[in-house]
This record gives sequence, C-alpha cells and structure tokens, in this order.
Amino acid sequence: MITHKSILPFMVGSLFAISAATTAQAREQIKIVGSSTVYPFSSSVAEELGATTNNPTPIVESTGSGGGMKLFCKGNGLNTPDITNASRRMKVKEFEMCAKNGVTDITEAVIGFDGIAIAQNKNSAPLLLTKKQLLLAVAEEVPTADGKSLIRNPYKKWNEIDASLPDREIIIYGPPTSSGTRDAFEDMIMKAQTKKMDVYTSLYQTDKVKNKGYKKYHKIRQDGVYVPSGENDNLIVQKLDKNPAAIGIFGYSFLMENDDKVSAARIEGMVPTPTTISTGTYPISRSLFFYVKNSHRASVPAIDQYVKLFMGENMIGNDGLLAELGLISLPDAQRTAIRASVMQHKKLTLDDLTNK
Amino acid sequence: MKPFALKNRHHGLKEQIIHFCLISAATVSILTTFGVLFSILFEAIEFFQMRSFWYFITGTEWSPGVDDSKFGAVPIFAGTFMITLIAMAVAVPIGLGSAIFLSEYASDFLRDKLKPLLEILAGIPTVVYGFFAAITVAPAIVNFFDSLGIHASFNSALASGIVMGIMIIPVISSLSDDVIRAVPDSQRKASLALGMTQGETISSIVLPSALPGIISAIILGLSKALGETMIVVMAAGLRPNLSWNPLEDMTTVTVRIVDALVGDNEFNSPDTLSAFALGLVLFVVTLILNIISISLIRKFKEKYKVNTL
Amino acid sequence: MSNYSGSQASNPFYDPSLNKRHFKAKAFKSFSIAAIIFSISFLIFFLGDMVYKGLPAFQQSYIQIEVTYTEKTIAFTRKAIDRKYRKVVSRAWLRDIPKRVKANPELLGTTQMTWVLLNHQVDQYLKGHYYKVKAKDLKLIQAMQEQGKIELHFNKIFFTHGDSKIPENSGFKSAVVGSILTLLVTMVVAFPLGVMTAVYLEEFAEDNRWTQLVEVNINNLAAIPSILFGLLGLAVFIALFGMPRSSPLVGGLTLALMTLPIIIVSARAALRSVPDSIRQAGYGLGLTKVQVVQDHVLPLAFPGIMTGSIIGLSQAMGETAPLIIIGMIAFIPDAPSSIFESATVMPAQLFTWAGMPERAYVERTAAGIMLLISVLISLNTLAIYLRKRFEVKW
Repeated sequence: MITHKSILPFMVGSLFAISAATTAQAREQIKIVGSSTVYPFSSSVAEELGATTNNPTPIVESTGSGGGMKLFCKGNGLNTPDITNASRRMKVKEFEMCAKNGVTDITEAVIGFDGIAIAQNKNSAPLLLTKKQLLLAVAEEVPTADGKSLIRNPYKKWNEIDASLPDREIIIYGPPTSSGTRDAFEDMIMKAQTKKMDVYTSLYQTDKVKNKGYKKYHKIRQDGVYVPSGENDNLIVQKLDKNPAAIGIFGYSFLMENDDKVSAARIEGMVPTPTTISTGTYPISRSLFFYVKNSHRASVPAIDQYVKLFMGENMIGNDGLLAELGLISLPDAQRTAIRASVMQHKKLTLDDLTNK
Repeated sequence: MKPFALKNRHHGLKEQIIHFCLISAATVSILTTFGVLFSILFEAIEFFQMRSFWYFITGTEWSPGVDDSKFGAVPIFAGTFMITLIAMAVAVPIGLGSAIFLSEYASDFLRDKLKPLLEILAGIPTVVYGFFAAITVAPAIVNFFDSLGIHASFNSALASGIVMGIMIIPVISSLSDDVIRAVPDSQRKASLALGMTQGETISSIVLPSALPGIISAIILGLSKALGETMIVVMAAGLRPNLSWNPLEDMTTVTVRIVDALVGDNEFNSPDTLSAFALGLVLFVVTLILNIISISLIRKFKEKYKVNTL
Repeated sequence: MSNYSGSQASNPFYDPSLNKRHFKAKAFKSFSIAAIIFSISFLIFFLGDMVYKGLPAFQQSYIQIEVTYTEKTIAFTRKAIDRKYRKVVSRAWLRDIPKRVKANPELLGTTQMTWVLLNHQVDQYLKGHYYKVKAKDLKLIQAMQEQGKIELHFNKIFFTHGDSKIPENSGFKSAVVGSILTLLVTMVVAFPLGVMTAVYLEEFAEDNRWTQLVEVNINNLAAIPSILFGLLGLAVFIALFGMPRSSPLVGGLTLALMTLPIIIVSARAALRSVPDSIRQAGYGLGLTKVQVVQDHVLPLAFPGIMTGSIIGLSQAMGETAPLIIIGMIAFIPDAPSSIFESATVMPAQLFTWAGMPERAYVERTAAGIMLLISVLISLNTLAIYLRKRFEVKW
C-alpha cells in the first residue's frame, strides 16, 4: 500500500512554486516569424547560423505573412519577433500599425523570387495556356461569347474555353484564400487582366460602391472546379499523381522536388525555370521579403550576423544554398544594390511602400 | 505515531488553509470555462461589428479575401454537419456493437483483453489519423469510386468522415459499455426466464433501459466530431461547399479557424476575425450538446441508482 | 398456435416463430462480433502500415572514404574529401568537421578512413525509394557498393539531433525534449489542481448551488473542443500575462487546463471507491477531516488517481490543434533547455515534417509516429497495470 502522508501539502506547495515562476528573461536567440513560403529559406539560413557560429539557432515560426506582421508590429519589446518574413510586400496599413506601436526603424530585404508553377501529372499531354485562358478557367464570372456581359463561369472542359485546348475536364488544385500564393496568383493572373477588360470595369464604373469588386475582379469560382487545397503542397502533388486531368498551382520549389510525378504547363509559351523566372519572362512569379526590426539589433547581436549570412552570395547567390531549395536569385545588379541597402540598415519609409 | 497533542494546536488554521486551497483549485475550472468564452467573445464581437450577425448565421456565401467579401457561414456549417454525420454513421453502429459485445457476449477474459485494445484507438494522436485519412483513405476512396465511374474529390467529406468515425468508436463504445453493464442483472434474468432469446433480451430490455446513457455517449461522440481539428485540417477541403454529395470536398468550422489564424491575411481584418465568430458558434453548440448529455446521464443514474458513471 | 405439424405437433410449447427468433438473435450477436472485429483489425492494419513505412528511417547510409583534417579543410570543409564525393556526401556532415576537430584535436593534420554520412537522395536510392541522383554519381555509388564501402548503419542522428532542413541530419530529439518539458508543466499544474478539486468535491463540498456549478462546469470543460483552448492560451497566457510565445510554459499550461477534467473525473471515481467505513474509523479515532483525507482516503485512492492522470497525460501528449494556435509549430533544431524557450512537441514535429517537400521526411514522419504511439501505448499499459495491481475490492 502506498503511504504518501504528505501528498496534500506537497501538491499545494508545487502549485505555488509554478505560479511563482517568473516569465521575463533576456534573450540571445533570434526570433523569426512570418510567411510559410519564406519559412524553408529562412530556417535553412537559421540552421547554418547555428551550425557554423557560436550563436544559438534562431527560432523560425511559420505564421503566415499577415500573422507575422501582426506579431512583428506589436512593439519594440524583446518578446516580440526580431524579423518577419513575407511573401508579399508590407502593406501600408501594416506599416502604419507598426508605426503606431513605435516600430519605426525597419529595414526591408528582398531575397529573391518565388515562381508559381502551374503543374500537371507528368504523363498527361502537354498543356499550353495563355494567361487569359487561365483566367477564364478560374474566375467566378466570365464574359459571354460576345464579350458584352458577364455570366457565371460555365466552363467544365478546357476545350470549351478554346478549341485548341484538349478535351479535358478542368480541375484545379490551388492555394486557399488565406495563402500568399493565392494572393500572388490573383494579382498576376486575374487582377492584371480584369482591370484592363471593359466587361468587368464597366460594371465598376456604373456603381462604384456596389460593384467595387469589379474594379480589379479577382473572385475565384466556388463550384468545385477550383479546389482550395491547403498549404501542404505535398498533398496537391499526390492528387495530381492520382488524377491525370487535374492541374495544380503551387510554388516552384515543390515542382522541382517532385519532377518525377508532375511537370509544368507552359504559360504564354514559357515554362518556369530559374532563368525565365528571374528575367521575368515567365509571367507568374513574386518577390520574397524579410523585415528587420532595427531597434533589436543592440540587444540581440546575432541579428546582424544572421542578416549578413542571409544576404551573402553563399545563400541568395546564383549558386547559393537557397537556390538549391528553389529560391530564384535576383539579377546580379539588383542583388548587389539590395545587399548594400540592407547592410546599411536603410530605414523603410511609407513612400517606399506606396511608390511601387 | 506523532504526538497528536502538538499537531492539534495548529489544527484550526491548517484546516482552514487547506480548505481554502481546495476551493481555489475548484475555482480554476470555472475560470477556465470563462477564460475560453471571453478569449473568443471579444474578437467575435469585433467581427460582428463589421459584419452582420444575421447574414453570418443564414448567409450561403462565404468568400473572404476579396473586396466585397461575404461571410455567410451556412456552407461551413453544412460541411461540418456532413462530415460529422458520416463520422457518426461509422462510429455509432460499430461503437455500439462493440459495446454490446464487450458487455453482453464477451467472457471476462476476452473483455479484459479487448477493451484496452479499443482504448489504444482512442489514444492515437489525431495528427496521425489526419495523415492516414489524407494519404491512405482518401486515395482509396477516389480509386474505388473511379472504378464505378463516379467522380470523387481527394478532399472528400467521406474520407475525413470515415477516419473521424473510427477515432470516435472508442468514445461511444467505452461509455456505452459502462452504461449497459450498469443495467441491473435482474432485468436480464427476468427476460431470459420468460423465454426470450439473448438477442431479444438485449435489444428490447437492456438497450432501452440503457438508452439515456447510450444517447449521452453518442452526443459526447458528436461534440468530439464537431470540434475535431487535425483530421479535417489535413484531409478535408477548404472550399465552403453547400452540397449533399459526400464525395465532394467540404470545409468545416475548425478548418476555417486554423486557416484564418495562420494564413497570410491582414490582421484585424474580418477574414482573420471570422475565426473567432466561428469559434463562438462551436463553443455554444458543444455547450448545448453537453448540457443535454449531462441531463440524460443524470436521469439514467437516478433511475438505477448507479454511482459509478 | 394453429399451425401444428410434423413431430413438433406433439410439443405443446412449440412456437413456429422460434427459429426465426433464434436466427435474429444470432444475427444480432454476429453484428456485435463484426463490430469489434472491425475495430481491432483496423488497429492492426493501421499499426502495421506505420511500422512498414517507418522502419527504414532507423537506418541511414554511410560511405567509407578518406577525410583530410588540415587548417585549410576546417576553413573550407568541402575540401576535406575528394572532389568526386562532394555530390553524394551530406552537407551537414562536412559542416560539422570543425566541431569534430575541436573535440578531437589530435585529428588535425591527419587523413582518416572514415564512415561519412551520405545525403538523403543517395540514401533514398539505397533504400529503394524515389531518388534524384545524377548518373555519374550513381555509378560511383554502385562501384563503392561493390567494394563494400557503403553500409547502412543504425540511425543515431534521429535520436541525437533536432529538426533540420537537411533531411539526413534531422532528428526527433528537440521534439522529444519539448514534449517532456511541456508535459512536465502540464502535470505539475494539472495533477495537484485536479486532485484538489476532486478532493474538494468528494470530501468537503456541501451540495449547494456553487458545488453544482463546479460539477456542471467540469463536464463542460471536458467537452470544449481542443482548438478553443488554443485561443484561450493565445489570449490569456500570451497576450494578457505576456508569457513567451511557442514556449513549453504556455503549451503546458494550455494542455493542463485541457487535461484537468480527465484527472478530476478519474480522481473523483477513485475517491468514491474508498469505502466510507475507512472515514468513519478515522473520525472514530478523533482525526479531523483533513487528516482522514490526507492520511487514509488519498493513499487508498492513489492508484486510481495515478491511472487517470496517466491517461490524461497521454491525451495531452498527442494533442496538436491548440499548439498550432500558440505557435509551437516552429523550426527548432536545438532542444530547449528551459520552459521559457521556444519549443516544439512530438505531434507538432510530425505535422511539420509531413509538409516538407523532400521525400526523405516521409519515413521520418512514420518513424516518429511509431515512437510516439509506442510511448502512448506504454503509458496506457502502465495505467492498466496500475489499475489491476492496486485495485482493491472492498
């Protein structure tokens, strides 16, 4: 028989012990949050820093670009992150929120491009698409045959959009609304075209309040043809492997890693390769960023080393480590210029964000 | 033996302190419930200040992330309902069947061996179930229906529903087993003495007696299914889809919560805050289900004067 | 009973519907047997599947080649090995050369025949999975294989390293340590709180409104979906109390609140099973209530309380959803050394690995699942053993 005469007092004691534990403490480890797209690059650099210097390995958390900005802009306290990654530029609203909380000294770093691949099962017949055809496949409302008015998207097969396309069911696995990849896809494929198409914009002109959504129309159909599939792109690849008709929208690195199972469709005649993406001839790519909170540089000295390592040629260069992971390097001149501005801790201003 | 005279001197004070500590401990559980409620409530209110509550409850279009975003949660509720329904269709017959076998047919030896095995099923982390659903079950379902010439989605409600059902089996079987065993043996003996078969005894005497408890077990399973997150995050879709077809992809309340909170949305936007509105709905629904379940179990207890449930 | 026929006509008790009724009874029984067989066979299939997928991860391939340790190769670790091996050897292994020399200074200036870790692509090739290795390197590997210079060794790295972006260098250790720290916090908070609440409700509380409120509330707590506890952790522990995000402290506290009802319910059942005669005897000897509970009732109920707590612990160990919300899904290569540092836990690590593009993570995920499930099964077995060993029939 167990005889714990002192169980009760012991328990009371331990309870108070835990509640007395304090939470504040100094920090030498860098804290990084932000986009899930930048996460693999950022954590690779973090690992290199931990393995090759005496600094502890920085903590990298994948919170999404918006979640990262929220944590980053909370203030200058040491329990806020030092760096946030983003798969899009900081928004003006976010900059203002940062400023309101006293986070005014921020440096912006562009690390390279992320190509968005339109991919399909490797064994399917090659698919040659234009941006317009892609728009017609995914938009909720599309122009009628005469191009005068909008109707709910009726296309179920590619050859209904254009006779030159194969007689194949349209089924697209793509990122969900919350994803930066989706934002980029909407920006580059949808908004870029619909803002120039009268059939959409004329609706906006007639009623600027009610039809606000038609200024730069980017609503994706919800009838099951476009299937939002989460951030776990591995599952998309598996789905493409099983379904020869389907196409998938995801980051270039996933395409590279899985080229035994999937291959890229040609967009405007181009397939995504490091060269076509960095020169901008491949039409769907976006820049990746990270933002440094300069007020933390004094108290967390490892930040400077991390930034230096990240911006170094060994990482973001053409043959750098991150290129192996799917990051597309910036053109040489731009890379040098950005490296210089980051090393000087150039302060980000509102003008930088508004003049694109 | 300690000299008790010495101990007695401090009795009053010590007893009072201990009593106070015990009450404080009990208070923590109350604080927790209110903590959960309030951590959802404020942001949910903020959301409803931006968007209509009525449309949220009755609207059928959920399209966040666009300029004229709409937050009608009916398709999300429908998806949750569908997946839960499939899960219950799997879990109730199998869980109840297992419970009947364990409590009525199995020898003590067999019961001792089988019950822990079933409990392992309850102990498997939901992340692991999620993988199983996404990587094994979902493709199997697609292949099976393809061979019948029917199109099925890789994020089908069926895949996550079935796996969720398997997860819930032990929840239902374990509690039902306890309840069925708590039905007095005199009832069984009376029925058998009247010449009823064992099957008839169970189905028309034992089960009806245990019914309140069984329903309560089912409700418990139901609220587990409604609140389950990892399986649906990994295996179910993200598309708000109002449909009766379980082979289509659907989304659930929990999926949308996770998606809104870890996505790339701007903060304090209705897109992010919608997570809290959905959380509030989830909280209220599970609370109501639980209250029903508790009152049923209490009825059962009072009827048979059992004290072990 | 009008239909008398055959030999049964002589039996006045013969009921013609009897066969049908017996058949129905049999069908009912076979249904319940089928149900239990389904559950058990699913479990076996499931565990078998995980073992099949995860076993390869416990071995890792190595190549025996010459490594030169000089000042120069410490500065440029790639130069430590022959150029032709550079594409097949793990970058992580080369990166650690300076550390190795620091640990063994006598290595400096020597050339050693060493077993060097191969990279994950070659490893996947050797294990018969999908691989991406250039034809030239593949030839080299095949040649080395014929000379017996490539071997599969036990994968120590999996147990001694944390997460890594280099698949062959990644391990489960930081997640295991994170889980231990988190669960430590969970148990230190939930166990005393749970037992004290149970003691209060069973032994001290009068049956008034307050007590009823607490009771109903505990039931509700058990039914609240786990993800909502994540929202609580985010709003209260991180935002309000300012505790460090992603830390085992916050994770542990959040899980503690989730585990609380499980412990309370089982502790109450254990206390209730202690017969009243024990208490009466205590009072009869002039003991106070606290003394009776502390010295007699609690020790007798202890095995039952432990059983419930272990089950609560194993539930907390497998929980992921609330931890996503409080930021415990992060890249954590170094095992945390205190409950204030950022950490991840085992199921969260599995979730992370599953999202990785490299194939080599698949077997690691399955191996991690094997490890996690075996811990959970051992805990459950321990709980059952305790229940059996100390169960007292009064």
